[in-house]
This record gives sequence, structure tokens and C-alpha cells, in this order.
Amino acid sequence: MSPLIVCPACDLAQRRATAPPGGRAHCARCRATLQRPENAAIDTAISWALCALVLLLLSNAYPLVAMQVNGSSRETTLAGAALGLYAQGYASLAALVFLTTVAAPLLQILTVLYVLIPLRRRRHAPGQNAVLRVLTRVRPWSFMEVFMLGALVALVRLAKFAHIEPGISLWSCVLLMLCLSALTSLTPPQQLWRWVERNGA
Amino acid sequence: MSSPATGRSLGLLLCLDCHATVRGGSAPALRCPRCHAHLHERKPHSLAVTTALVVSAAVLYVPANILPVMDTRTIFDDENDTIMSGVLVLLHSGSWPIAMLVFIASIVVPLLKILALGVLLYSAWRRSPRHRLQRSALFRMVEFIGRWSMLDIYAISLLATLVQVRSFASVIVGWGAWAFAAVVVLTLIAARTFDERLLWDPPQHD
Repeated sequence: MSPLIVCPACDLAQRRATAPPGGRAHCARCRATLQRPENAAIDTAISWALCALVLLLLSNAYPLVAMQVNGSSRETTLAGAALGLYAQGYASLAALVFLTTVAAPLLQILTVLYVLIPLRRRRHAPGQNAVLRVLTRVRPWSFMEVFMLGALVALVRLAKFAHIEPGISLWSCVLLMLCLSALTSLTPPQQLWRWVERNGA
Repeated sequence: MSSPATGRSLGLLLCLDCHATVRGGSAPALRCPRCHAHLHERKPHSLAVTTALVVSAAVLYVPANILPVMDTRTIFDDENDTIMSGVLVLLHSGSWPIAMLVFIASIVVPLLKILALGVLLYSAWRRSPRHRLQRSALFRMVEFIGRWSMLDIYAISLLATLVQVRSFASVIVGWGAWAFAAVVVLTLIAARTFDERLLWDPPQHD
């Protein structure tokens, strides 16, 4: 490994420093984070990813909320929110919602698992580098926590004139949001590449 | 003040995907030996691409705020809501914390993002050496808050999906929502095409 590190935010070359336990190494010039402490093991990342995968499946299998008004009832799942937009002819909006709440989180989870599970046994998954590049592109578009806040806003607006029944999936979405945040902070691309390097076949 | 050693002055390239440091100078079409991503000393055409995205976002900000984002039809009335009137509805129904949240995420944040990116682009064009630390911090804030503007889009998508009770009430999405989503996505992409290292490049270069 090169003894020099170049700051991604200001291009300053400086000696590589390891982050203190529980802290971070910052760029001497622009204060950007250069290195996070490595306190996670591959197994920890895998367990968060598996947990998130189960919750994501649950969130799409069960209703998020049900609305009762005038004796009739309507419900939606996580993916259903995107379908509602599609049904109204806004295909691009529907694609955006689907990408950021279902596809990106799912891809994020699957790519992490695909690369890390063989890596535990010091093996490299076929196409590992391409998969990691997909992860790097997809990761910034996983917006689960924003979706949850949006759902809160929608429920507040609806509560005025309808009876709202929270579904199983509402709770699994909250847990999913937490799992995804943990997974995202444990597996920045740089960390994944460090694991790949260290567990070279 | 002598200029400090930078990746550029030492001929070191940083892979933005995997953060490997690569010795390479400015050879074209160079790839990262570790992850095979394309390597560039600076993101290619960063200022031009980012400017185009920010200008488009600024133009779309107008229809996003003027056109209705949703049309709520009930048996009693037919209500066209823009983003701002949606905030007022929330305010009048007594949920002011939620109203504040939507106001900040949907109106303040996109506007601030467009203005902040404009300031950053202008200072990067001029290679201004002033307030670099503050501008760097400003960019990091733009990166951090950007995604939260999607909040209203999710709220609208849920309302449009749930409120489809035949003859009693229905929510129809308006083109304002499309324009608004476009503003959010364009500014998110703009924050990714902008190369923050340009804020630190010395003025005398080239």
C-alpha cells in the first residue's frame, strides 16, 4: 500500500494515518474524512446485509398501510407506491421511486452478499470487480430513510379524513431503514476493497 | 506561501471508486489497477456538465413550484395543491412540525442547493483562493442534504396510491411533481459531477 494518501476532496498528498479507535482521520487541509476506523468484521457486514434482505422481502410482501374510508379499504406495499404512480401514467416518476426504495436497496444488499460471502473463505466471486463497481454506482441512490419520512408526511395528511391502519410492513420498513444505515456505514466501497485486498486468493 | 504537495503535483491519481492511489501522471484512458474504474486527474468536463445540470434544475424549479403537484378530488370539492399550498394545508391542520419539515425539504433545500452549487461553480471557474474551507464545507452540506428533498415525492406517491376510493376521493398526480422530481434528481447528479478538488486547485495552473 502506498505510504501516501491523496485527499479525495482537495487533492492534498499526505502520509497515511490510521484512524484512532472510535475516531476518524481527517484531511489536514480541507477536513474531509480520509479514513474511518475499521472495527467491523466481514461477518458483521454479512449479518446486517442478511437482516436487511429479510426485512426488504417482508416490506414488499405485506401491506405498509391500509386506509379505511366510507367502508371501503385500500392498502399498499412498499413497491406498491411506485405502481400507483405508474398507473397514473407517470412512468419516469414511478421508476425513480422504485429505483430509490426497492431496486437500489436490494442491489446494495445483494452485491455486498455476493462479494463478501465467498470472501470469508478467501475466494473471489466471479465478476467481483464489476459487481463492486455496480455497488459503488447504486449505493448513493438508496433512499429508504427519506421514504420513511415521506410516508410519515402522507399519513399525517391522510389521518384527517380517513382511518389509517399501520401494516406489518410499516414496522419492517423502520427496521429495514436502520439495517440499511448500518450496512451503508459499514461497507463504503473503500472498505470492501480493503477486505478484497486482504483476503486475496 | 509555497504550494503544498498535491496528487497532481506529485503525479499521483486517486481512484474515486476504491480510493487506491495510483502513480500515473495524466495518461489518457488510464484504469485503476485494483478496481478497473477509469482514472482522471479531475472529473472530465466537471464544470461544464455541472453548470448545465444546475441551469436545467434552476429552470425546472419554476414549474415545480407553480404547477400543481397533486389534485385531490372528493365529493365535496376539487383541490389543486402546489408544493407551497400543500405546506399550508399541513399548517392549517395543526401539524406545524410536519409542515416545517416539508417546507424545508421541498422549498428551502432545493433552492439552497441550486444557489450553493451556483456559488461553488462560479468560484471554481474563477479559481478563487478565498474561503476554500467554507466552500468545501458548503459542498459537503449540499451532498448531505440533497436526498431529503425526495420526501415530498414519496408522500405524493403514497397518497396517489392509497387515495383511490371510487366516487369518494381520489388523488391525481400533477406535472408539478414531475418537474419537482426532475429538480431533485438533476441537483443530485450535479453534486456528483462537480469535482470538489477544483475548489482547491491553485489559481496559476495551466
